[in-house]
Amino acid sequence: MEVSLMGNSQANVVKTGLPYRDSRVCCSYKNKIDDKVLFVNRVSFLGQNRSANLRKAQLRFCTKASVQSQPLPSDRDSGPLSSARPKSLDAVRLFVGLPLDTVSDANTVNHAKAIAAGLKALKLLGVEGVELPVWWGVAEKEAMGKYNWSGYLAVAEMVEKIGLKLHVSLCFHALKQPKIPLPDWVSQIGESQSSIFYTDQSGQQFKGCLSLAVDDLPVLHGKTPIQVYQEFCESFKSSFKPFMGTTITGISMGLGPDGELRYPSHHRLAKSSKIPGVGEFQCCDRNMLNLLQQHAEANGNPLWGLRGPHDAPSYDESPNSNSFFKDNGGSWESPYGDFFLSWYSSQLISHGNCLLSLASSTFGETGVSIYGKIPLIHSWYKTRSHPSELTAGFYNTAKRDGYAAVAEMFAKNSCKMILPGMDLSDEHQPRESFSSPESLLAQIRTACNKHGVEVSGQNSSVTGAPGGFEQMKKNLFGENVVDLFTYQRMGAYFFSPEHFPSFTKFVRNLNQLELHGDDLPVEEEVTESVHTNANMNIQVQAA
Amino acid sequence: MSTVTIRPLLPSYRRANLNFRDRTNILLKPNYINYSIKSAPNARRFCSFKKLQKITVSSSTSTSTSPATSTDTTPVRPGDVFFKETFPLKRTHAVEGKMFVRLQKGKDEKNWQLSVGCNIPGKWILHWGVSFVGDNGSEWDQPPKKMRPPGSVSIKDYAIETPLKKLAEGDVFDQVNIDFDTRSDIAAINFVLKDEETGAWYQHRGRDFKVPLVDYLQHDGNVIGTKSTFGLWPGALGQLSKMILKADTSQSGIQDSSSESCELKQENKHLEGFYEELPIVKEIIIENTVSVSVRKCPETAKTLLNLETDLTGDVVVHWGVCRDDSKNWEIPAEPYPPETIVFKNKALRTLLQPKEGGKGCSRLFTVDEEFAGFLFVLKLNENTWLKCMENDFYIPLTSSSCLPAESVQEMLIPGKAEEATQEVSQTAYTAGIIKEIRNLVSDFSSDISRKTKSKEAQKSILLEIEKLAAEAYSIFRTTAPTFFEEAAVELEESKPPAKISPGTGTGFEILCQGFNWESHKSGRWYMELKEKATELSSLGFSVIWLPPPTESVSPEGYMPRDLYNLSSRYGNIDELKDVVNKFHDVGMKILGDVVLNHRCAHYQNQNGVWNIFGGRLNWDDRAVVADDPHFQGRGNKSSGDNFHAAPNIDHSQDFVRKDIKEWLCWLRNEIGYDGWRLDFVRGFWGGYVKDYLEATEPYFAVGEYWDSLSYTYGEMDHNQDAHRQRIIDWINAASGTAGAFDVTTKGILHSALDRCEYWRLSDEKGKPPGVVGWWPSRAVTFIENHDTGSTQGHWRFPGGREMQGYAYILTHPGTPSVFYDHIFSHYRQEIEALLSVRKRNKIHCRSRVEIVKAERDVYAAIIDEKVAMKLGPGHYEPPSGSQNWSFVTEGRDYKSNLANTRRG
Repeated sequence: MEVSLMGNSQANVVKTGLPYRDSRVCCSYKNKIDDKVLFVNRVSFLGQNRSANLRKAQLRFCTKASVQSQPLPSDRDSGPLSSARPKSLDAVRLFVGLPLDTVSDANTVNHAKAIAAGLKALKLLGVEGVELPVWWGVAEKEAMGKYNWSGYLAVAEMVEKIGLKLHVSLCFHALKQPKIPLPDWVSQIGESQSSIFYTDQSGQQFKGCLSLAVDDLPVLHGKTPIQVYQEFCESFKSSFKPFMGTTITGISMGLGPDGELRYPSHHRLAKSSKIPGVGEFQCCDRNMLNLLQQHAEANGNPLWGLRGPHDAPSYDESPNSNSFFKDNGGSWESPYGDFFLSWYSSQLISHGNCLLSLASSTFGETGVSIYGKIPLIHSWYKTRSHPSELTAGFYNTAKRDGYAAVAEMFAKNSCKMILPGMDLSDEHQPRESFSSPESLLAQIRTACNKHGVEVSGQNSSVTGAPGGFEQMKKNLFGENVVDLFTYQRMGAYFFSPEHFPSFTKFVRNLNQLELHGDDLPVEEEVTESVHTNANMNIQVQAA
Repeated sequence: MSTVTIRPLLPSYRRANLNFRDRTNILLKPNYINYSIKSAPNARRFCSFKKLQKITVSSSTSTSTSPATSTDTTPVRPGDVFFKETFPLKRTHAVEGKMFVRLQKGKDEKNWQLSVGCNIPGKWILHWGVSFVGDNGSEWDQPPKKMRPPGSVSIKDYAIETPLKKLAEGDVFDQVNIDFDTRSDIAAINFVLKDEETGAWYQHRGRDFKVPLVDYLQHDGNVIGTKSTFGLWPGALGQLSKMILKADTSQSGIQDSSSESCELKQENKHLEGFYEELPIVKEIIIENTVSVSVRKCPETAKTLLNLETDLTGDVVVHWGVCRDDSKNWEIPAEPYPPETIVFKNKALRTLLQPKEGGKGCSRLFTVDEEFAGFLFVLKLNENTWLKCMENDFYIPLTSSSCLPAESVQEMLIPGKAEEATQEVSQTAYTAGIIKEIRNLVSDFSSDISRKTKSKEAQKSILLEIEKLAAEAYSIFRTTAPTFFEEAAVELEESKPPAKISPGTGTGFEILCQGFNWESHKSGRWYMELKEKATELSSLGFSVIWLPPPTESVSPEGYMPRDLYNLSSRYGNIDELKDVVNKFHDVGMKILGDVVLNHRCAHYQNQNGVWNIFGGRLNWDDRAVVADDPHFQGRGNKSSGDNFHAAPNIDHSQDFVRKDIKEWLCWLRNEIGYDGWRLDFVRGFWGGYVKDYLEATEPYFAVGEYWDSLSYTYGEMDHNQDAHRQRIIDWINAASGTAGAFDVTTKGILHSALDRCEYWRLSDEKGKPPGVVGWWPSRAVTFIENHDTGSTQGHWRFPGGREMQGYAYILTHPGTPSVFYDHIFSHYRQEIEALLSVRKRNKIHCRSRVEIVKAERDVYAAIIDEKVAMKLGPGHYEPPSGSQNWSFVTEGRDYKSNLANTRRG
């Protein structure tokens, strides 16, 4: 039986007053009733000894609890207790993201000890599993078809040993912070053949992932990117065969920049400005223009295929700084606008379709669920034209639902949808950005519901959005059914005293592990037996 | 105990844990120390090696080792090395010492003081909290603010961490004093001692130390300082905690009392002072390596096995051979290597030969081809054997046995397993908890009255979670660099920083090192330099660094004797004042090169050891640190590394610091120095530097903290974070009052430029990889100085690449320092051009650098969005977008451009 300690079973323990067999040692603790009751502790022997050898650790428990080791009667678990669980307990499976650079480009595990300790903490906390980003630029770094999974296998093994589940994110993009580039050989191809990258109106390239326009072009040493992705997935599948369906329960297919299904329309935003601009259309690389040209000719408007919109603002600018996105009478509402936006967004959807069907067919029989991630582009949502979503490739405006087609595409491939931004609330967005993460989230979730696509959540802000935990709770309870929630992300901040207690509280709340009044600790008289044998001198901290 | 299958992590993971300590000599050519002072002017550099800690070797040493590197499995040609492996050798040594706990009256009856000290060197932290009167539980609380000594840090809401420090009184103990008011309602002070270096905790009887401040506090065994004798229990701490309580003395102090502490009246308090000393043992891991390479000798049909180690002393290889995988020891037929004896007809013992130069030893073994393996263990002395994971080292001798890599793999596994052991044991530990909890759950009973017990179990889990989180946090936090985040400051300070601080000057300083290793030869350097003052100023330098001015045993000035005698080989005091005035006239500031770490003595003590000083500062041997036996100092142990060629000054002595401050102030006032270049600051704690700088208020100060970068097999590691962290740590210790030479950047430039590995110039976060990437305003960048270059050439910049080096440091943030030899060479015009780029574009020590390219053959960066520069043969053009760039200067393999217009 798998017991998640702070989760289900433990909750039951408390509620039903399961005892454990006491021997001589017990604790007394302060009668603090606030939520921190369990975290007002101190340094005690228990902790100092944590790195001590096993034998002692064992002994400690023996001393303490006269441990019973007969197997758990199975009916105990599935009996009436289970049915008494709050619904959310079973509904929300919580994952925590591992550091982005968990595996270094030399295929070693970074911070292995910290991760090992972290995994144990998460396991004890009742977290279901962890999410591991698997980078194209690490595993297929050297040459096409030359895979090195060793670092990732080591992590999978660690995770399996701890007894956690693993959600793997296949990342076909590059990252700036920490720096994880595309595979070297891809970058080299890009040097000579820059049209494999997205290009904006001013000719600037985005080198963080390949342009969707080359999906089916043999640009990678005679192979198409789709073929290369496919072989990557195949190699992953065979290398991780022992983990598939057991430890690895889910795989996210990387769909674009940051793994999300979108164009890199916002990659050059100035960090200084608080209000995000509208972004830029990314359709000016040669291959995109070719596609546009063909499409325009097929529609009988060859002149529309020469370039993207000429009156769209640039990255940092507001919708009204040029005429394309103007709320009233902007070109987006013109026949040309509709022509362009339909094409632009349909390209994205067919790109997503291509990759997700690839993933589904590759991993279909392994028993893992396939996921794809959609961005939550919430700025300017309250304008009519939704410019940021348009530049990112979602033809979603006041007049048109752009997410139905996306949800439909997910449904067709039996994929689940990862939605970030579950920690963002409207009230904390700058007014001037006309942003509404909550409404956008609701819109996408409605589309998913309609098409029967399961949603899995993520938070967006790694350093904690204001009111983030509250918002997440809100998004995970009530009518909102979430397949799983992935909390981003393990690292120094995650375990810091500023953050970790609130995370713990969040987890406990998530599992509704509220203490009943009569479960609160009572002051107890302390008795202690002192062992003179050194090895026996190991006890839970006694008063 | 649950059985744990030890499955190895992967080899590549394993490799990350190599220890390279002993490879530092790749970098520096050591000068061997000659303890006759006069003949060893350069020997100071010897200390650049990272020293192993001095320790007393305890009689029993546990050993373990594991193979480290992957095996070369390329097809074997005759004579080729087909097996090459380096095994780390790990030994644990115990350092014995003691700690004390003292409770004593303070300035009056109401103010008392608790002191805790420890005399083992290390970074000790007192982790402590208090219990209040009326608290029955064992919880700690944070002490009131006024109780916290300076430097204390809050840990969550229940504890305080205060570092132990050497106090000025000249104690050998690091200690911390906690003052408290007896009228407060604090019932007890609880603490544990923590060694930051090893992460070990030191407790008392397996529990926290507890000093009761009310005399009827419930005793529960860990009380210290009661009238009863003081007792300790051994073994309460895990062996992995590296800390062993040494003595097991009486336990009569235990008074298991369950008396309730009820309403307490303050007048009941009655304190009694005490002083207790406890022996403690700190275990230090010493790491060495042994490398084995095997090749066939086709002519003789023998296998040649070369065994090398960096262990010193008499290392005996206890060895044999085997015919198959069963690893049964056999003695091969003669001949044996020289200095071999047959041991009980079972094995051979061969003494390794010291390597030339004295670092480590080696021996070549010749074995007949018929044998499949070579087995050995290393013996240091009767009690110390070094093995491979409790097993014999096994080296396959047939190329076939390692070709498929299987046998090698097999051999590697124990090593990996060892590495994984801790991981696994922790896993198993957690698994143990999980299992126990499961059992608790299964121990189903309807006995509701026991409800609280499950509560308690839950609590212990949460405690465990918290511990694990704290552990993870501490690792994540330390692997991420700890440095002042300047980003926020940078934004504000992109305009000239108004405030002048000694660490940075104005922020726009450009240093000129105004001498080289030969400058003393003419005897009139001050006068020669004076002639160049106007010229140096017009080139754009704002600060000149003059050579050490004091009388010195060595002509270059780095072996000072009488600090107040300013007659040196560079000129006399009047000439010095003259040159200082001249530089002031041309608007430059002057740095004095002050040697504070060591000082040569005037007289011998009764044992004939030179440690008595004369002149105005006629210190005796109390001013000399105690831990260099050659100088028989009576001061405290050194607060830093020792420089072995002269007596190291004990800065922990009040009179020494007072005299040094006076001397520095005298130099400021009498000579007119504006600031300091501090020699060999590795030798003493940075906090003293802060003290000196605060007393002398220099305009600019820079310390020389020079140690080796990290290398793997002769190749410099990409990541030099540990190296720059050590420099940052020193700057931090000096509270940022001084900058430090960016040795890291110099080292990385060496590799990047010399080997065409420009990718090295970006760290993992896309920032400059040296100190300048982390704390630019305190980084003094340089490519050469009188030690590294000049006629000494201890660590010379790659020849012909100097201009690339200058193109880097003169366009980048940090405060650049240009070496005299380069200014007055054929590089002069190019340097001048770069200086002018820096000045015109107002690049300063906090300028922002954006690395655009860091690839094999090209590095490019844009500084403050104004200057684009590139190094290397590869191609780079600044972005053409809306910026126009005009070409400024160019040399061999570097180029810099200016932005004409900035994006609007």
